[in-house]
Amino acid sequence: MDGISYALTAVTTPSVLLAAAGGVLWGILGGALPGLSPSIAMALLLPFTFDMTPLAAIVMLTGIYIGAEYGGSIPAILIRTPGTNAAAATVIDGYAMHQQGRGGEALGLSLVAGTIAGLVGLICLVLLTAPLSALALYFTPPAYFALAIMGLSVIAALSEGSLVKGLIMGIIGLMISTIGTDPLSGVTRFTFGGAELLGGIEYIFVMLGVFAVAELMSKMAEGDDEEGITKSVARVKLPGVKKLWALRGALGIGTGVGIIEGPIPGAGGTVAAFLSYNEAKRWSKTPEQFGHGAEEGVVAPEAANNAVTSSALIPTLTFGIPGSNSMAVLLGGLLIHGIQPGPMLLSTRPDLVYGLFGGLFLSNMFMLIFGLLLLGPAVWLVNRPKPYLTASIFMIVLSGVYSINQSLFDFWVVLLSGVLGYGMKLLKFPVLPLILGVVLGYMIEANYRRSLLLTNGEHRVFFENPLSLGLLLCAGLIIGLAVVSEIRRLRHGRRATQE
Amino acid sequence: MKHYGIRALLGAAALATMTAGATPALAEYPVETVRLITHSSPGGGMDVFLREIGKHLGPIMGVNFVVENVTGSGGAAAMAEVVNGAKDGSVFYGATPTHIITSLLSAPPVTYEDLDPVVNFFNDPQTVYVLADSPYNTLNDVVDAAKANPGGVVVAVSTPGSLDRQVMEEFQAVTGTSMVVLTHDGGGDAVLSVLNGTAQVGVSEIAELRGQLDAKAVRILATYTENRVPGIGDVPTAREQGIDLVVSKFRGLVGAKDLPPEVIAAWEDGVAKLMEDPEFRKWYEAEGLENAYMTQAEARVARDEFVTSLKAFFEKFDIK
Repeated sequence: MDGISYALTAVTTPSVLLAAAGGVLWGILGGALPGLSPSIAMALLLPFTFDMTPLAAIVMLTGIYIGAEYGGSIPAILIRTPGTNAAAATVIDGYAMHQQGRGGEALGLSLVAGTIAGLVGLICLVLLTAPLSALALYFTPPAYFALAIMGLSVIAALSEGSLVKGLIMGIIGLMISTIGTDPLSGVTRFTFGGAELLGGIEYIFVMLGVFAVAELMSKMAEGDDEEGITKSVARVKLPGVKKLWALRGALGIGTGVGIIEGPIPGAGGTVAAFLSYNEAKRWSKTPEQFGHGAEEGVVAPEAANNAVTSSALIPTLTFGIPGSNSMAVLLGGLLIHGIQPGPMLLSTRPDLVYGLFGGLFLSNMFMLIFGLLLLGPAVWLVNRPKPYLTASIFMIVLSGVYSINQSLFDFWVVLLSGVLGYGMKLLKFPVLPLILGVVLGYMIEANYRRSLLLTNGEHRVFFENPLSLGLLLCAGLIIGLAVVSEIRRLRHGRRATQE
Repeated sequence: MKHYGIRALLGAAALATMTAGATPALAEYPVETVRLITHSSPGGGMDVFLREIGKHLGPIMGVNFVVENVTGSGGAAAMAEVVNGAKDGSVFYGATPTHIITSLLSAPPVTYEDLDPVVNFFNDPQTVYVLADSPYNTLNDVVDAAKANPGGVVVAVSTPGSLDRQVMEEFQAVTGTSMVVLTHDGGGDAVLSVLNGTAQVGVSEIAELRGQLDAKAVRILATYTENRVPGIGDVPTAREQGIDLVVSKFRGLVGAKDLPPEVIAAWEDGVAKLMEDPEFRKWYEAEGLENAYMTQAEARVARDEFVTSLKAFFEKFDIK
């Protein structure tokens, strides 16, 4: 088969090998730095690809993307700071594991789960390009709306025991998402006449605030006592085959959700990670452990965001339409080398497409290797004395924030979110619903209004579109189950107190 | 996913595209190295365009061209870079309508008013396209369908503040029709909406459609240009079809105010020659760009007209 020989040629070409290795290494480091998103990490190296061969250039760019999606989970687990948007779901159980001294184990799980999911995603990319690219076409505005509603319904399950508190935070998140430019008419809202808020509030700032800054604040409030937190094993522990088999459910859920979400423009790794976290919790035999260091809670979102890295390439390659910022950079890289992605790409440049598949395989392997090499030093770093650590994390987070837009205004957004997050922590409000509201609000609003514009205000459309109907039913089911278990828990609690 | 633009800082990402050619053909340009600033990231439309200019215009003007990507804030940072640079003809900004839209909407510290057009190169033709198997064959079929079923025809355009949307709002006024103009988060999303049948008609630049055009998945019904555009089949303009709409999505060069007259003259002569260069011509026709060469005086008039129409559009639709 020609395809296989193209791929083999690619993986044995020194320049491609070097490009994959360099890309992945830079990607992991970039992803691990809060603020440096995968797309920025890619854009920073793009000028260096001008003189490479086209194949080496795109292998390097996709390598950065793969590395960065993995790298984001390192600070998520070790310092409660999601390095990338898609690592936000990993923070909950990953950091809980770290606090229990199982940080090295969590890192190993995330690395292995990410690698396996990336490889499975690659197989799907090779075998199922045509059906998966059709998926992007099925998503019309009503379906996007329903998908986002399903994402939001996860709030019911992630509210850590207090549905009312979860709903309050979800609504605050949705309110934050209305700041900025109206998605349909372009009218500005709540910007107070300034230019800073025209683009809305970026998710990553809210995430860095409520996770990282809030955590730093509570660490500072705890004072200098050396108890607990940093007594983790300074060694990375890879999961064995037995452990992986035990976690196969979460791994499968994460990979599956990631592969399906990847090709849908705009859904992406963040939504995939949250949905798979929720599904893993629901199908788990021990759902009560979620939020308190469940291994499944690390494996599922990490598998999801790495599976996305393979399947997200599909619309970019087959339609020439980028579904995310990272893919927009990749498209730019292709165009600079005079390659026009689109339905004709596979027939005009099979060497490139199959070569890229080979390169993706290499990148996933390099991710495993570099991951192992880098995790040791990373764990050593977070075991330094707390005052040093807190101060330097603060500096890294804030300089990362500044590097995104070079705007001091963004500091205030992060610091205010930090205060909000700290307050939530003290009052025991769950964090995830807020994040979900911020991430999904725009998608819900824009597509709800687009749908009604298309039907002249008829709400029927959400039930007539089969995809939308199915997703809304799933959302209903998720909410129903969560309410039932909440009621059961309350009754049980009451009975327990009576006895 | 609000912005598909890339907000990376690429300040240092400068690359010399070509060293100076042999003997300079024109009068000596006052500086040796000229920086061309773009707010687009490497690989974006303007970035590729400036690199091509550097390649072909370098030998003509006897100058080294260096392309610098100063991204962020829709061009605000790039405009400031040019205004704060030396006033000797060593730094220019590759300008599209974006910098005027940004100036009007975000009120950045440096706006288009602090800059002066130097020359215009191209017009990026806006096209009206449909799926290959669409029942519409001309722009008038679209008008007839919209008249028969007011609000029944959906047109996909990119962002709310874009020229695509502006032209389709004007289209309805000119033809007396009422259609649904569906805005998106970016140009790619709008193409998907046409491909999956959410919208029956779309408006886009040629570059964004190239892949679909090559695969014969979409057909272009009309272009909003003065003349027919080469390289896309023989597509009549909107004006030929009786709908008098022309959109000027210009691509030009702007610089600081009060540049030395010999600098302006060197650019006007150099670019006039460049546009006739057969290799350069081959490149821009393949890209679907329309030769719209303008001298400084012409480019100034064109910019004023553009600003007036854009302000009227923003006011009418309460975009600010």
